[in-house]
Amino acid sequence: MLLKLAWRNIWRNKRRSIIVLISVIVGLTAIVLTDGLSNGMMRQMLFNQINLDVSHLQIHKAGFNSNKIVKNFIPNYKQVETVLRSNPEVEAYSKRVFATCILSSASNSSGVIMYGIDPAEEAKVSIIRNSIIEGRYLSTSKREIIIGKKLADKLGVDVGDKVVAMSNTLNGDIGSDAFRIIGIFQTSSSEFDKMAIYVNASAEQEMLGIGDNYHEFAIITKDYNKVTSLKNIFESKLGEKYEVYTYRDILPMLIYQMELYKESMMILNIIIGLALIFGIINTMLMSVFERIREFGVLMAIGMKNSKLYLMILFEAFILGLFGTLIGLVCGLLLDIPLAHSGIDLSIFATGLEAFGVGAIIYPVLSIGNLINAVLFMPFVAVLGALYPAYKAIKLEPIYAINYV
Amino acid sequence: MEIIKAQNLVKIYQDNGVPVKALQNINVTIDKGEYVVIAGPSGSGKTTLLNLLGALDKPTEGKVYFEGEDITVKEKSELSKIRLHKLGFIFQAYNLIPVLTAIENIEFSMMLLGIPDKERKEKALSLMDELGIKELANKRPNEMSGGQQQRVAVARAIVNKPSLVLADEPTANLDSVTAGHLLDLMEQMNLDKNITFIFSSHDKQVIDRAKRLIILKDGRIENQ
Repeated sequence: MLLKLAWRNIWRNKRRSIIVLISVIVGLTAIVLTDGLSNGMMRQMLFNQINLDVSHLQIHKAGFNSNKIVKNFIPNYKQVETVLRSNPEVEAYSKRVFATCILSSASNSSGVIMYGIDPAEEAKVSIIRNSIIEGRYLSTSKREIIIGKKLADKLGVDVGDKVVAMSNTLNGDIGSDAFRIIGIFQTSSSEFDKMAIYVNASAEQEMLGIGDNYHEFAIITKDYNKVTSLKNIFESKLGEKYEVYTYRDILPMLIYQMELYKESMMILNIIIGLALIFGIINTMLMSVFERIREFGVLMAIGMKNSKLYLMILFEAFILGLFGTLIGLVCGLLLDIPLAHSGIDLSIFATGLEAFGVGAIIYPVLSIGNLINAVLFMPFVAVLGALYPAYKAIKLEPIYAINYV
Repeated sequence: MEIIKAQNLVKIYQDNGVPVKALQNINVTIDKGEYVVIAGPSGSGKTTLLNLLGALDKPTEGKVYFEGEDITVKEKSELSKIRLHKLGFIFQAYNLIPVLTAIENIEFSMMLLGIPDKERKEKALSLMDELGIKELANKRPNEMSGGQQQRVAVARAIVNKPSLVLADEPTANLDSVTAGHLLDLMEQMNLDKNITFIFSSHDKQVIDRAKRLIILKDGRIENQ
């Protein structure tokens, strides 16, 4: 009956209650949308990096990651392949040759990272094949090269043009080779498009003079949440001559950013909550002052202060709960279609691409944050009612009954 | 058998810093089953005395003994308990809870006692039937006349079988016919259920029916 009374009290002044409800609804919808957008942006940054060149796990010769020089190639890549093939958690892998080069066209030159790949293997671990916007992807021909759109623009080249790559070789000489551009790619990261070029592994191995060796294994696993346990397995199987990195090791800044984002979402929730608290305090105080005489009667007929207190908190809780549920539905109704179509932020494309996000953001809801918001809002509403409820129970029955 | 006793009661209000003596040296004892009217002109202290007897207010000096216990020294929560279990109140302005129906208003004090839902409904309906207001069960206060509301208020006051009902000017807002019916009802309750009634009123109809009359004047008992 106390709940029934609280429910009916809420609707005594419909306009006022609806205004409070709307503020809770708007607050929660904003949280759901902001959460979806920020979470989506962070995940896109992470997955774009993983799908470009980072992958879930990388295996190198020990020391390669801190000193990426030609001679630091994997001591026995066949041993690594055997380990990877025997693990059912490995979805795909790509062997890569890695070198920093100068790529020159007839009109310009630029420092780049040359990836020597097996085109078929690489297509399974990265999105390069699907990012071709002009020409085609690499075949097995040695003299083919694909480069990023930004780099092509800088060098003033197009599909069909020739470029020359120069790099240090294993024996310390300068090795060079000429390639014909057969494709131009464009990814979500303009920085990557400026820096990365792909050729067949055999061509790069020949240019660097490293025989049939590779510098890197890029691995995609069936479940990226298991990378740490896989890292431990590979480390123990391969021994000290090798280093195994997860994407978390390779992208520490991005991981920190994601952690920071979670904390900033919490701060945002608190700010929205604080704004709401004052609205609720105001509404509940008005509601309490309007009913002083009634509280006096309730006290006179024997209602304990604790029950009176509870009744006022119930009123705020019901408002908070309904606002939360409606806000959640509104937020989801906006978020779910956007999660499929994405939000086109082309006007910020330059900045977003520099961060490797892409111009279209696909909101992703994090269940944990949603649960927090759903629990947080009714709690905030109850918090906002504490003071008005305290004012109510501090009334003396005789004063309250005679209150005009 | 004594139900309530006021001993040397004094009540002084502060009116803008000026002390106003509302009651002076009141000594009165009321026995169980009495039907008492406290009468007197406006400002004589009737309502103040009723509020002190009903544990709604505390005296400046003196004691109030309810069923032998001094209620002037009790804590707020203990007084709530006494009001819930032992006392019933009827107000001049009815003071029903506007968002509850008649039956819910009557049930409310039973709910505070923790009586289960079904039992509450049965008791409330049976009492409403007895008081001739069963047809009002689902009406809210704003859908009832003053007389109907006051009958519901009477039902609310007696539903928990209190030892004492305090009625502050219960007929002040009613026409004489309705007031007469209401007084009949309360007299009946007094006779049938042996509930002690204390009224404060200057309504002649109420005073005429008093089995004991206490007259207040300027905060003092003039006659009892």
